[in-house]
Amino acid sequence: MYITQISVYLENDHGTLRTLTKTLAEANIDMLGMSIADTANFGIARIVVREADFNGAITALINAGFMARKNQVLCAAVPNKPAGLDSVLAVIEENGIFIEYMYSFNYNLDGNALMILRLSSKDMDEEAIAKLLTDNGVKLVSQDAVNAL
Amino acid sequence: MKVNENKIYDPAIECMDRAELQKRQLEGLQKTVRLVYDRVPLYRERMDALGVKPEDIKTLADITKLPFTNKTDLRDEFPFGLLAADKKDIVRIQGSSGTTGKPIVSGYTENDVEVWTEMVARSLTAAGGGKDDIVQVTYGYGLFTGGLGAHQGATRIGAMTVPMSSGNTQRQLMMMHDLGATMLCCTPSYAIFLGESLREMGYDPAEFQLKSGCFGAEPWTEEMRDKIEELFDINAYNIYGLTEIAGPGVAYECPAKQGMHICEDHVIAEILDPETGEPLPYGERGELVFTTITKTGMPMIRYRTHDLCTITVEKCSCGRTHARMGRILGRTDDMLIIRGVNVFPSQIETVLLRVAGVAPHYQLIVDRVNSTDTLEVQVELTEEMFSDTVADVERIRDEIKEGIKSVVGIAAQIKLVPPKSIQRSEGKAKRTIDKRGLTENK
Repeated sequence: MYITQISVYLENDHGTLRTLTKTLAEANIDMLGMSIADTANFGIARIVVREADFNGAITALINAGFMARKNQVLCAAVPNKPAGLDSVLAVIEENGIFIEYMYSFNYNLDGNALMILRLSSKDMDEEAIAKLLTDNGVKLVSQDAVNAL
Repeated sequence: MKVNENKIYDPAIECMDRAELQKRQLEGLQKTVRLVYDRVPLYRERMDALGVKPEDIKTLADITKLPFTNKTDLRDEFPFGLLAADKKDIVRIQGSSGTTGKPIVSGYTENDVEVWTEMVARSLTAAGGGKDDIVQVTYGYGLFTGGLGAHQGATRIGAMTVPMSSGNTQRQLMMMHDLGATMLCCTPSYAIFLGESLREMGYDPAEFQLKSGCFGAEPWTEEMRDKIEELFDINAYNIYGLTEIAGPGVAYECPAKQGMHICEDHVIAEILDPETGEPLPYGERGELVFTTITKTGMPMIRYRTHDLCTITVEKCSCGRTHARMGRILGRTDDMLIIRGVNVFPSQIETVLLRVAGVAPHYQLIVDRVNSTDTLEVQVELTEEMFSDTVADVERIRDEIKEGIKSVVGIAAQIKLVPPKSIQRSEGKAKRTIDKRGLTENK
């Protein structure tokens, strides 16, 4: 149910992001989606790539001196129309689930926008959260579907 | 600059003929060695291992037969293992940071507090202090010896003592101004900070009565002296000490400002080759080693300070005969003094180990910004420390920050850096970078 995302620690220095994109470019990695969390002191880049690129991307980033690791996130297919995202967040909110962060990425899957969701809950594990969303009509996208983008 | 007359607290002692002084030193040494051999298991074991008995100390040169004492011994014997006196006779505990999380403490008998007080009284008198003075003590009060040491000395010379303790610059200046303090005791970097703040806060330096100050607890330079003297229009004197031996006042400057007179009637100072432990002739730079000869609570035999300096016994123009030590030129270990606080990289390591589970590579970068020491701790991220959420990464960073604050006692900036980004030489990371230029680079 979950898909894999690559997270990269970014120092707040001039040129850090360029080094990241250059590293991935040279490793011929196709980024499907990306978001950056920035704070006053550091940033975290979250990158979605196809499964075939996981190891290539991680290796290239680590060799370039980055701290990079994989982690699991949900990818929801959100109806591409008004209230589409709201209906998904309604399920999350009404069930006491927290959103650590979320971002959309620039692909259209059968008329749906794709949304990465990093969720947490005090009393549900990851599988329970995913099941609850599915049970409530949220369409989750598999790693295979992401690979096929 | 205000002229300081050459005042001497105890001329009979401070200007004593050196042959007479050495006679006293030998008596004190013999007495101390006998005391610790009889009462402190660690000293007895070590002396037995070397085959030395108290009666083997027949001349001052025989001191080299005695074993060394290190800071680690104070940590290992923490808190009372090195006491030569009964616990009931200890009237004071003072402490400083150890090399890891645990502080080191020293126990003082009434006699030891008196010895220490006398040392500071000499220091303040040499800086021109006396009954008519108002001494503002801006060293921290507490386990740290700075505050209470200066306080006792100032009280002893009959000065009006103002126990401000550290911090709150605005209030420090207000009291200094309103009370008309004539002497200041604090770290040299804080003195500069006060001097600069005074102008920023709109005070006219001419409205202050300050004439001199005793500055210590951290290494400083002649340039800093010039700056303090200029900022306040005072005489700035260097004062040296360490908790293990007594506290501030172990050595102090006179108006000649040509090195600090060591209270040689209370301690024997040696300069050793830090590598071999062999004595070096006067004038050569080496590690300063102290033996106390009048203390009864926790006497120290050949305590290795790890401070590098020179000693001279040439007679000083002030008339004092006690040997003088030069400024501290560096350390033989990796201790840093930041805002007057002793900091060992191993303390930081203890914190990282606790917070991160493993000890990642790290580096301490010390600098001085607006006359205040800054500490930045760069920590290489490990996979365990890194997460995709900002909150998790910030939590790790804050835990390190709080850990350092509680173990070391000072606030540090924590910078998490990517793996392998801290430079290594021969595979080993250089633990500290000191940009303050206070000591020679090793």
